[in-house]
Amino acid sequence: MELILVNIIDGLVTGLLLFMLSAGLTLIFSMMGVLNFAHASFYMLGAYFAYQISIALGFWMGLLIAPLIVGVLGAGVERYGLRRVHQYGHVPELIFTFGLALLIEELVQFIWGKNQMPYNVPEVLNFTAFSIAGNSIPAFKIFMIFISIGIFIGLLYILTKTRVGMIIQAALSYPRTVEALGHNVPLIFMGVFGVGTALAGVAGVIAGPVLGTFPGMAFVLGSIVFVTIVIGGLGSLWGALVASLLIGWMTTFAKSYNIRMSDILNGIGISTPENLDDNIFRDFWTVTSPQIADILPYILMVLILIFRPAGLFGKRES
Amino acid sequence: MSTPALELTGLKKSFGKAEIIRGIDLSIGKSERHAIIGPNGAGKSTLFNLITARFPATEGTVKLHGEDLAGLQPFQINRKGLSRSFQITNIFPKMTVFENVRCALLWAQGYKYSFWNLVNKSRRLNEGADAILDQINLLPRRDLPAGMLSYAEQRALEIGITIAGGADVIMLDEPTAGMSHSETDYITDLILKVTEGKTLIMVEHDMGVVFGLADRISVLVYGEIIATNTPELVRADPKVQEAYLGAALEEEH
Amino acid sequence: MTDQITTDPSKPAQRMRAGSMSLTVGPWIVAAVALMLMPYIFTSNSALTIMNQMWITVVFALAYNMLLGQGGMLSFGHAVYAGVGGFACMHIMNNSDLFASFPLPVLPIFGGLFGMGLAMIVGAFSTRSAGTVFAMISLGVGELIAACSVIIVAFFGGEEGVSGDRTYAMPFFGNEFLQQIDVYYLTSFWVLLSAILMYLWSRTPVGRMANAVRDNPERAEFLGYSARWVRFYSFVASGFFAGVAGGLFAINYEILTEENLNTASSGVILLVTFLGGVGFFFGPIIGAIVFTLVQTVLSLQTELWAFYAGSLFLATVMFFPGGLAGLMMMHVPVFRLGKMKMLLLPYAKTLIPAAIGILGLCCLVEMTFHYRHAATGDHEMTLFWTTFDSHTLMPWIIAAAITAVGLGIAKMTAPALKEAWDEANTAGGTS
Repeated sequence: MELILVNIIDGLVTGLLLFMLSAGLTLIFSMMGVLNFAHASFYMLGAYFAYQISIALGFWMGLLIAPLIVGVLGAGVERYGLRRVHQYGHVPELIFTFGLALLIEELVQFIWGKNQMPYNVPEVLNFTAFSIAGNSIPAFKIFMIFISIGIFIGLLYILTKTRVGMIIQAALSYPRTVEALGHNVPLIFMGVFGVGTALAGVAGVIAGPVLGTFPGMAFVLGSIVFVTIVIGGLGSLWGALVASLLIGWMTTFAKSYNIRMSDILNGIGISTPENLDDNIFRDFWTVTSPQIADILPYILMVLILIFRPAGLFGKRES
Repeated sequence: MSTPALELTGLKKSFGKAEIIRGIDLSIGKSERHAIIGPNGAGKSTLFNLITARFPATEGTVKLHGEDLAGLQPFQINRKGLSRSFQITNIFPKMTVFENVRCALLWAQGYKYSFWNLVNKSRRLNEGADAILDQINLLPRRDLPAGMLSYAEQRALEIGITIAGGADVIMLDEPTAGMSHSETDYITDLILKVTEGKTLIMVEHDMGVVFGLADRISVLVYGEIIATNTPELVRADPKVQEAYLGAALEEEH
Repeated sequence: MTDQITTDPSKPAQRMRAGSMSLTVGPWIVAAVALMLMPYIFTSNSALTIMNQMWITVVFALAYNMLLGQGGMLSFGHAVYAGVGGFACMHIMNNSDLFASFPLPVLPIFGGLFGMGLAMIVGAFSTRSAGTVFAMISLGVGELIAACSVIIVAFFGGEEGVSGDRTYAMPFFGNEFLQQIDVYYLTSFWVLLSAILMYLWSRTPVGRMANAVRDNPERAEFLGYSARWVRFYSFVASGFFAGVAGGLFAINYEILTEENLNTASSGVILLVTFLGGVGFFFGPIIGAIVFTLVQTVLSLQTELWAFYAGSLFLATVMFFPGGLAGLMMMHVPVFRLGKMKMLLLPYAKTLIPAAIGILGLCCLVEMTFHYRHAATGDHEMTLFWTTFDSHTLMPWIIAAAITAVGLGIAKMTAPALKEAWDEANTAGGTS
């Protein structure tokens, strides 16, 4: 029972982290129809910038400044890169962001090298918040949860309660009309792109000390984020939230409980074949849940796409 | 009397709460040239999209030669002999004019998804495409990318693509929209020529074209057909007069 | 060396006359002769290795372009079809009874069949839509299969992959493919055959409709074709030829690992294809040849070659979406007008300084890299046959000056080039 609670907390941390990325990605996607392949790269930049800043000014300044820099960079990418490619259509846009992701990874290696950076949890938060049946829950995890939820509430407030949010929501569905009403839609696009990437930057700042700050970090999380928003339904913010949490908990639980495929199959009445070593399905029989934890999201995606092609919360294609 | 080419019964369509098509019954006979007119926003294009399964209908049935089209996809309906054009020109702009027409011929000539035939090797296919181009007077433009044609030429090509497959029910959505007088006359003649012996259903704003082409006219107002009759009788119908005048007055305000 | 092969297939692609009854065979004969003569021109073993790699990439890139260029489907996981085809071939190689029953040149067919089989399974649900959704599914499925390589050890061989020996096949007219040159001719045969087949595919009804669906899926549906099935057939065909490429890889290297499946490999093939140009049949061929050469040459010279490749790729997407093939074909009208001469001087005036400027920029990049990452105390570096101390100011000033002057001149002369270009593209006029 206690272990379940620990796993729920761990999964929540992972899920909320995923959501910080998938929320920005979804916002950008539903507004511009562009799936920003480089989104996770901005997350990585957030971690690296924060590391660099934390050396000089400490963790908290990093948390404050790094997302700002990332957001400005993101806005610049939209203004000078994406807007130019936009005229060629969606597929070149996607290819552009893909190329950008490659380049950012190379750039990070160029500046900081290939090794993991010693970017650590700040001293203030480096203690055990509480422990459940001998499993200690670090304060930083609790901090991550609060930051993510705080940002989510803030985002929800801005989108639904403020004038800017109204304009953004209107621009999502009727860009022409909003433009005709005198609002600068390209500027709104740039702003949303900047904010979306800044969110990814925040995620990077708080995830860097826990998951490690290394050149592959964008890729490790990136493809999971894309899977998340496909599962949630492209363009749906609620879908992104549900899918993020689902994936967070699913992978966490799969990792902590060692369930063997042979147990499941025996349980439903299929007996293990003799001479397992020669059987061509031997790998299938010996598979355990921690082994496949990292690919569960992909399997879930394939299943969702077969049975519900528009995703969990996606609108049906008209 | 034989089965009608196209028969609509109780056709309805709602978008959210707004009911755009409010129960349409219409029967169009074989080889009839039928025009659908009506003020802006009456639902003419929506009606077209319902018949061709671009949108699913909320209620009601569409029958082509007595066969219910419910649940069929656009490509399946096309294979049953119903072909349509679009209000906004819908062609393959990057392909040559000739290729546009040839693509429209592929299914009709039974090539399906084959990868053992070479399109250049089929004389029937290429001569067929050239014959269509000749009919729509675009033979001189044959090797240009379709996107480089003038507007009127693109409209002509659109009609060419629509009729190429040899469908016996042709639906044209505002074929003369946005054209000059001479272009309109040109397209009208073209339509007369290429729909010889076929069932034609068209939405049109230009009354000159409608009264010149149609055997019968249906007037669609706010999602309902208020009159279906020969051009002369429709013109004289007081309800039609009222509807058009009323709509015109509303638009002025 | 590249000219003969790359430019010629363009002719049928561009100048296909619907009425003409014969496929233009000229370019293919030229390509075949060129393929045969290459080993006599470039005789070293390393040249053979590079050429083999090139031709395999050509097959793969052409297969990829069946999707991207002709079908409008962007895949981020196409390496898995080549990879699975390759792994299947490795297993056939290791099954000695089966392998001894047919000659080696037949093996890529099996690669193709396995690639095709996988494409049929995945395509069944992934081709429902094109665009972003398709791209995301391809990425997810690609990741899934790549991740499976460490789980399904029986097929993918885990970390160390699967290796085999190609020489156990039934001798092919007495040849056991012991030498690199034998493999070269096998690969050449397959690259030519695959290229011809893929070219012919684009001339079939389903190939033509692939273009139609790419440009306007809705219109294609109202012409009696299901956009989904048209995409499915393109996808399956592309999977087949990707599998053939995988089979050729297996024959060449006799080992396949997770690297053949992962997203990095899928990314490279996208890069190659786009660099070459997706709009023309011969684009991916140019892309594969140029990329392989650049990779081989640059990776020997600098650690940063991936950085340069990435920058080049991004620049291509932003400024030349037609790729190299598009750039070449841009000059066809000028060439027809006989005004190529007019462009030579303006080109030289702009491009040479620009190239020098970019080289200067690269020097700055290399020096920065050396400054940051070289072992402490190692101040000496060599660039363009010049050895200097990267921790002194002078080299920086020189490199910065070269960059500034080069790019400056290029910027100054650019308007004249544009003028000359417009002039050259106008029929008649002064010439």
